Amino acid sequence: MSLENWKRGLLMKERRNRQEKRKGFSLLFSIVLIFGILGTIVFWLSQKTSREMSDASIQNLSESLDLIQSTIEAILCNEVQFQELVAREIARSEDPEAYIRACEENQMMSKIAMIPSGETEGIASTGEIFTGEGLDFSAGGTVLGMPVSESYINYMGTWSYTIKCPVERDGQEIGTLYGEYIYDTIDEFLPAEGFYNKQAFLYIMDARSQRFVLHPKGMGQRNAGHLNLDDFYRANDIREPGIRAEVEESLQTGRKVMFYHDIREEQALNYMWPINDGTIFLVGYVPIDVIQREGRSVNQNIIMVVFLMLTAFILCIALYYLNWKQQEKVRRELEEERKFHNQQLAEALRAAQLASESKTTFLSNMSHDIRTPMNAVLGFTSLLAKDAEDPKKVREYTQKIAASGQHLLSLINDVLDVSKIESGKVVLNLEKFAMDDVIASVDAIIQPMAKAKRQEFCVEETGSRHEYLVGDETRLNQILINLLSNAVKYTPEGGHIWFRVATLKQRSSQYAHIRFEVEDDGYGMTPEYLEVIFDAFTRAENSTTNKVQGTGLGMAITKSIVELMGGTIDVFSQVNKGSLFQVDLELRAVEMPEGETEHSSGEEPEDPDILKGLHFLAAEDNEINAEILEELLEMEGASCEIASNGQLAVERFRQSTPGEFDAILMDVQMPVMNGHEASCAIRVMEREDAKDIPIIAMTANAFTEDEKAALAAGMDAHVPKPLDMELLKKTMKQIRKRKE
Amino acid sequence: MKNRKMQGWAVACLMAVTAVFLSGCSAQKGPKNLLPENEKKRQTVNLFSPMEKSIPNAVNVARTAADLTVAMAEEKLDVTVDYWTYTAKDYQDRNYDEVCLDRARNNMDDIYLLNPDVILKLGAEGALMDLSGLDSAGNLREIIRVANTVDGKLVAIPQEVVAYGLFVNVDLFKQYDLALPNTPEEFLECCRVFQENGIETPVGANRWWLETFVLAQAYADLYNGGNTQAEIEALNNGGARYSDYMRPGFEFLKTMIDQGYIDAEKALVSEAIEGEGADFLAGKTPIVMAYWGAANTETAYGKTDFEMQVIGFPSSRGQMPVMPMTGWAVGANAKHREDAAKVLDVMISDEALQLFAETNRVISPSKNVKVDCVPALQPLNDRIEEGIYVLGSNAGMDVEQWGNTCLIVRQLLAGASVEECMEAFDELQDAALGK
Repeated sequence: MSLENWKRGLLMKERRNRQEKRKGFSLLFSIVLIFGILGTIVFWLSQKTSREMSDASIQNLSESLDLIQSTIEAILCNEVQFQELVAREIARSEDPEAYIRACEENQMMSKIAMIPSGETEGIASTGEIFTGEGLDFSAGGTVLGMPVSESYINYMGTWSYTIKCPVERDGQEIGTLYGEYIYDTIDEFLPAEGFYNKQAFLYIMDARSQRFVLHPKGMGQRNAGHLNLDDFYRANDIREPGIRAEVEESLQTGRKVMFYHDIREEQALNYMWPINDGTIFLVGYVPIDVIQREGRSVNQNIIMVVFLMLTAFILCIALYYLNWKQQEKVRRELEEERKFHNQQLAEALRAAQLASESKTTFLSNMSHDIRTPMNAVLGFTSLLAKDAEDPKKVREYTQKIAASGQHLLSLINDVLDVSKIESGKVVLNLEKFAMDDVIASVDAIIQPMAKAKRQEFCVEETGSRHEYLVGDETRLNQILINLLSNAVKYTPEGGHIWFRVATLKQRSSQYAHIRFEVEDDGYGMTPEYLEVIFDAFTRAENSTTNKVQGTGLGMAITKSIVELMGGTIDVFSQVNKGSLFQVDLELRAVEMPEGETEHSSGEEPEDPDILKGLHFLAAEDNEINAEILEELLEMEGASCEIASNGQLAVERFRQSTPGEFDAILMDVQMPVMNGHEASCAIRVMEREDAKDIPIIAMTANAFTEDEKAALAAGMDAHVPKPLDMELLKKTMKQIRKRKE
Repeated sequence: MKNRKMQGWAVACLMAVTAVFLSGCSAQKGPKNLLPENEKKRQTVNLFSPMEKSIPNAVNVARTAADLTVAMAEEKLDVTVDYWTYTAKDYQDRNYDEVCLDRARNNMDDIYLLNPDVILKLGAEGALMDLSGLDSAGNLREIIRVANTVDGKLVAIPQEVVAYGLFVNVDLFKQYDLALPNTPEEFLECCRVFQENGIETPVGANRWWLETFVLAQAYADLYNGGNTQAEIEALNNGGARYSDYMRPGFEFLKTMIDQGYIDAEKALVSEAIEGEGADFLAGKTPIVMAYWGAANTETAYGKTDFEMQVIGFPSSRGQMPVMPMTGWAVGANAKHREDAAKVLDVMISDEALQLFAETNRVISPSKNVKVDCVPALQPLNDRIEEGIYVLGSNAGMDVEQWGNTCLIVRQLLAGASVEECMEAFDELQDAALGK
């Protein structure tokens, strides 16, 4: 994945996030919109219902009031008709006064009186003189054309009114008949059991005096008592000028009035209802809750529905929010994960790029490092050809060629080591070893090198150390030699190198804690370099400018081996002051069993002529190598026959007589048939010696695994290239011993 | 597992919804009469009582208290009590007492709430039923029984002992460094100081309650001197003159009028509380007179911005409460007299009077009922508890006191001299003596 792709991925992700957010908002907006519309509809419906209910209430109350109005007007008419009937009876009677006196109080009339025409006083049914004093007909109210007086408190202590009508005899008016009626009578004809469940209010008011003359029993709360219209409005706080003007107009014109006004903090429908052309009025109110009992229930249901809708809405929002939050969480986690992966990828990319760069640098260095000894080899080879006659020079040249070759070999070995370590193929070969041996061998190697550079090499040991330890001695040697040879390399002539071995306090009884220190007072290293010193393919200086040669892999190999052994390596250094490497290892300590002495398995002295007279079959596809092999063997007094691939080698062995070849030297990588296949083919031949003839792998594949593969293919031993004749001798000796 | 649970819930909900739906659908409308069966017609009793002019959103606790006892009677006796009421528009209008007399004489109602003079008049006319046979009558304090007995008949029973007193603005008294007055002289001195300090009319008055000053001074000794019965007897047989008792009080009132401590003109046309209440509540008038319950109800003086106290009227024996006896009476010839008597029996039972007294915080006429009064009434209550008071009315006196004194005080307000007023009393006494 390139950086460009990665950036593009990030941009796409951002865009996707934005789109998701936009989607979320629009969804939320849609929900709000839908519920908003529903809410508006519900509100509109509720308003409509309220309006309709209000209209129905007004109509309902109007009908009730009209009914009461009709009832009262009918009573008034009956009273007038009754009075006219009495007037006619009086006209017929011979003694009207006696007739009047004889009239008793009855349900309809509380008093009756007549004033004969032309006189100022007459007689009343109650027996006293009647003058008509106190009766006020000036308001001009009439019932069926008969004048009706203003209301007053009569002798019974109750509100009453008087209607007067003429008494005519033979078409001539002989007097005026006064009939007094009490308002209580009207109450008898009105529903006593309730007007709007006795929650409504109704008074009968005299229009002229505006006094409340009757509070019918079934018409409202019984403990209410109002004196007059003004008292009623004052008590109920009806003071708005508009309303008062309407009421005033109603009193003047007899127009019906109905209006909303709160009475004792309750909304109520108030009314002024004229009766008998406005001589009296029905005045009062009905609380809306009473008149709209079912409406209240409807409203409650609407409120309930709205409440449920709101609850559902809030629940939806809550669920949506929770869901969104959950998704957002998952999305964020995914994003985090992706980010982490991207970071890892970016790091890997950077590491790969760095590795690539390092390897490029390494290849460049290797090219230089290989060319340098190669130049020496080729140069001295040319010189050798030229001075072939001069044995002294030839020896000198061949020595230098050999040194360059050795250098090349160490280069290749280091590269192989790194490759193996990086691919995790290194396996420690744990064996018992003596620390003294290690120190001795290190000393043996380094001391000459130091001397050559006129450096002082000191070996110091501290602490009570264990004689024998278990570990990979070879690799431990490799670590120490690496460090020490570096110290020698990077310390100028006359410098000092210290090699210290200290046994530290044990952390476990079975393991010895050992610290190896390599210190020098050489060139030292910069802090920047210290940071990368253990990375592969790095070197303190560019090899093209450095007088010291090396692969730059040594420290990486050293650190890897130390860590493989479960130890640690630290470095301290200052430029031009020197360096100090500390390697801490924990190695299992063992006691040497009794009777076993050091070198008990002691190697037998080498036999320098072991190869003499032997005849080898060598499978080698490289002609030069084949030639070199032939020459080398010849130098040892042996001979060989070359087969250029595995197949030919197998064929040649098949054709050979038993004992013709003492051993087979088998290259591994060859055309047509490789060494492993060839070995297998030979071993399976039905010949007596096919099983026994030593087959020695002779290959540039120098890993332990290669050795194991060779043995698995039926070969007896493994000798790496370039061919070391001493090793070959040793190997032959071991094989022979084994065969014996 | 979770899904199964959810499914279970869903099925239960669905079943519940279906059940509700089906039950809604299954409500059948059969061919039956939708109206409830006619209830037994309840007996009705008509009750006539006064009604104060209303104040928006104010509660008349006295009315509420009476209502509660009426409701108790309705519930216990299964009757309906219908209210009838009358309120005079102004002083020119017929007053409640006059209307009461007419209504009772014409048997318009069954139960009446009557003032003492009306009780006496109607009692003497035989228009009121003898209530002594009621079970609850046995609980009455003796003084109540005596005050309401006419010609040996217990013609009225109150729900509260109405005590009149002076309602004073204590803040104003403190402001001018005045002590609450005990005697008429001290009272006049207070008025003088108030007037000197710019309060032109220190006493707020109406046409109904000024007689309390007169009665307090007239009968302070009679009721508290230990010789009550003998003195009343002397008045009844002509051995003593009412005018002699009344004179100091009238002279006192005359001084008040002359000094301008009372606005006689205004008082003559003012209704109770309506005329003087506003100034008193506004802190302009330091002294008014009113009945006990006025200190409890918002429609009167139950809510003041200043410290108020109710004290007795000034007299030679110190602050003197005046207690007229208003009471509930039943018309002798009322249409529903038996039911009315039963209703009244419940209304004056200890249970009802306890409820009444607790609601209205008044002195109960029952010897078995006692309730704490509001702090403002404490001075007045203390005097009554000490047994120091004068009766505003006494059926044992042949000349009715409460109404007559009120009317004669009005004459004084209208400009009559003290002598003329005394003559009026003499005339009344003479008439009573049959001269």
